[in-house]
Amino acid sequence: MNDTMETPALLPAIARGDLVAFEALYDRYSSTLYALLLRILSNAEDAQEVLQETFVKAWASAKMFDAVRGSEAAWLISIARSRGIDKLRSRKIRVDRENDAGREISIQSSFVDKKTGADSAIQSEERTAVRNALAELPEPQRVALELAYFEGLSQSEIAERLGEPLGTVKTRMQLGMKKLRERLRAFQP
Amino acid sequence: MIHEEFESIAALDAIGAATADEERRLREHLASCAGCRAAREEYGEAAALLARQVEPVAPPPDVRARILNAVDAGAGESASNVVELESRRRSNAWWLATAATLFLALWGWREIGIRVAREKVRSQEAEIAQLRGQTDVLNQQKEKLTAAMSAMASAGTRTISLAGAQASPEASARVFLDPEKRRAFVFFSNLPANAADKSYQLWIIRADQPQPQSAGVFDVAPNGNASVTVENLPVATEMKALAVTLEPKGGVEQPTNTNFFVMGNT
Repeated sequence: MNDTMETPALLPAIARGDLVAFEALYDRYSSTLYALLLRILSNAEDAQEVLQETFVKAWASAKMFDAVRGSEAAWLISIARSRGIDKLRSRKIRVDRENDAGREISIQSSFVDKKTGADSAIQSEERTAVRNALAELPEPQRVALELAYFEGLSQSEIAERLGEPLGTVKTRMQLGMKKLRERLRAFQP
Repeated sequence: MIHEEFESIAALDAIGAATADEERRLREHLASCAGCRAAREEYGEAAALLARQVEPVAPPPDVRARILNAVDAGAGESASNVVELESRRRSNAWWLATAATLFLALWGWREIGIRVAREKVRSQEAEIAQLRGQTDVLNQQKEKLTAAMSAMASAGTRTISLAGAQASPEASARVFLDPEKRRAFVFFSNLPANAADKSYQLWIIRADQPQPQSAGVFDVAPNGNASVTVENLPVATEMKALAVTLEPKGGVEQPTNTNFFVMGNT
């Protein structure tokens, strides 16, 4: 990840038309967003197209960003994730993670940033902390959250996929998100 | 619906898993509830953690150039428009000043009228939104009742009675189980109203699994009645019994106690 959660926001400057700030925004977040889009779409070409849409949207809508309501990273991630899922749905492809896992890994490893080591020790430490937080979730909760977040499946589609009652799936997702929200406070200054 | 329930919807909404109806009701509620709005924003940050776990991957360098060119072209176009406008503005300065004076004189009167009209529109829009919300709730209740009546009338539907257990001997429940649609309507009677920090939770005890499965969380009105619709049930042969416990608000993954309020074999 190229950002930390304490990094000052660039979007206010971008809202005033500052192209240098926009370049800094790209350098700060493009690797995180591209990795997310590869995970959602499992296709480098589509991921690059959606990455472009995401940054153009960020440029055009920077004035809508309100730092009081959330972080710059979460705002950008939300745009990228939403557009990635839209793209996934428009292709009418539901990526079978088990069958496609090998392909996904090969796409990711072919583009790993060697230029800067991608992230500093602090950022790497932060990602490890995030992974630990997710690892603390019971497996069924984590799986349900990831099916919704990365594959855009609805509650009933997840229930169908897992062969579980809808109520069980809903409760799992709500409990998982509550735990993540509690853990989030550990990362905030 | 109380704030805790909207917070639960907010949790689902943050990962794009709220239903269209839940999302619409949440948006309406957030418009007037700062507390739930803050919760939704925190859930948005929490959802971003899912993306942050993924190992970063640098996009190819030409993507950066493409994006910067696209944005730069847009910004350049805007700048050249500004220059052109500036030039026109200077050449027409004398009549612009006159027009501005006239405009300002009229503006005050128009502004008052516009503000009154806007206020009226806002008030009517709020009223329409409220009526739409009420209509939607009534339509949902109608659909639920129609589905329940249809299930009760179906030849394949099984009726199961659940008796009050040790925590509430006077309580009871009737289950209308439609095995074909793997759906059940459960109607509870004489359950004690739950405290604000608690929820009732319905559990399915399965023959093929050691742990019970949650089938839904519900609140009980002061009259002791409640109903739950359970979708995507396990096949009938896998279901052994149903039970209800009182749990922390919003429900839990596994029951925290065995103090059953209602229980019965299926």
